[in-house]
Amino acid sequence: MKVKLFAAFRDGRFKEKEWGYFDGITVGSILEALNINKKEAGVLLVNSRHAETNYRLGKGDTLSLFPVIGGG
Amino acid sequence: MDYTEIKFSPEELNRYNRQIIYQDWGVEGQQKVRQATVFIAGAGGLGAPVSIYLAVAGVGRLRICDNGTVERSNLNRQILYTDEDLHQLKVVSAQKNLKKLNPHLEIDCFSETISRDTIDRLAGNADIIVDCLDNFETRYILNEYAVRKKLPLVHAGIEGLTGQLTFIHPPHTPCLRCIIPEAPTSKIFPVIGVTPGIIGCLEGNEVLKYLIGIGSNLKGFLLIWNGNDTDFYRIEVAKDPNCLVCGQRANAV
Repeated sequence: MKVKLFAAFRDGRFKEKEWGYFDGITVGSILEALNINKKEAGVLLVNSRHAETNYRLGKGDTLSLFPVIGGG
Repeated sequence: MDYTEIKFSPEELNRYNRQIIYQDWGVEGQQKVRQATVFIAGAGGLGAPVSIYLAVAGVGRLRICDNGTVERSNLNRQILYTDEDLHQLKVVSAQKNLKKLNPHLEIDCFSETISRDTIDRLAGNADIIVDCLDNFETRYILNEYAVRKKLPLVHAGIEGLTGQLTFIHPPHTPCLRCIIPEAPTSKIFPVIGVTPGIIGCLEGNEVLKYLIGIGSNLKGFLLIWNGNDTDFYRIEVAKDPNCLVCGQRANAV
């Protein structure tokens, strides 16, 4: 399972990482492990499709996390 | 949009020839953009490409609002300005430089802060609003105005090599509060100049399509640009029935 971070989510974290899979792991639990506030998480994609925080991930999934983007 | 027939000069027909010969545009499309008024909120990274492309396309009137001055650190991305414009009011430089690109353009400039007290006057009789802002507090004011007036609002945001875009048209689509209910913290954000270039061009495209009535707009979808891996993601977004701005609870606020 892979986790990809974008924009400010990379600060002090990583760009892309293999993530240890376990049965029942959700998008929300990864946000928590990364210390990312749900309010700051603008777009959550699993295999390029929008997912909610309670989405249960599979072994081969790629989770991409984008922050809310406020610049102009 | 409704329009009345305008006679273009030979110079204008020549200027706009390459778009007029596009089958869905034609002289009729040119008349529609000429009679349109577009409110551009913000004349920075996004506002530069938006205003440039709307100006050269022949939009009749731009209302541009930004309370800033041109700083050297703007010049990596705000392509409407040069070193000659440093320390000038952005809207004054924008007006001067846009008129060079298209002298037929009418521009109303406002070096003011957008607030709930000023938004009606600043937006005036605009047919469509373009969000080129750099903070969500002011975006929410634009959004409330768009919902109240049932006006289309093109929203975009950028940071680094990432951008987002959606076309809001109350009451038919989710409003900005439905999609992003809470504002992220305002800050100085990193940005690579091409990012507002790409996203600003997409905003301009949404505006022109809406004015002319061609193609479809990005209603009910949030487009994400991941410039790092050169990917676009199109994510469906839905109206929030409990939205404080456009939902059932809106009148209670």
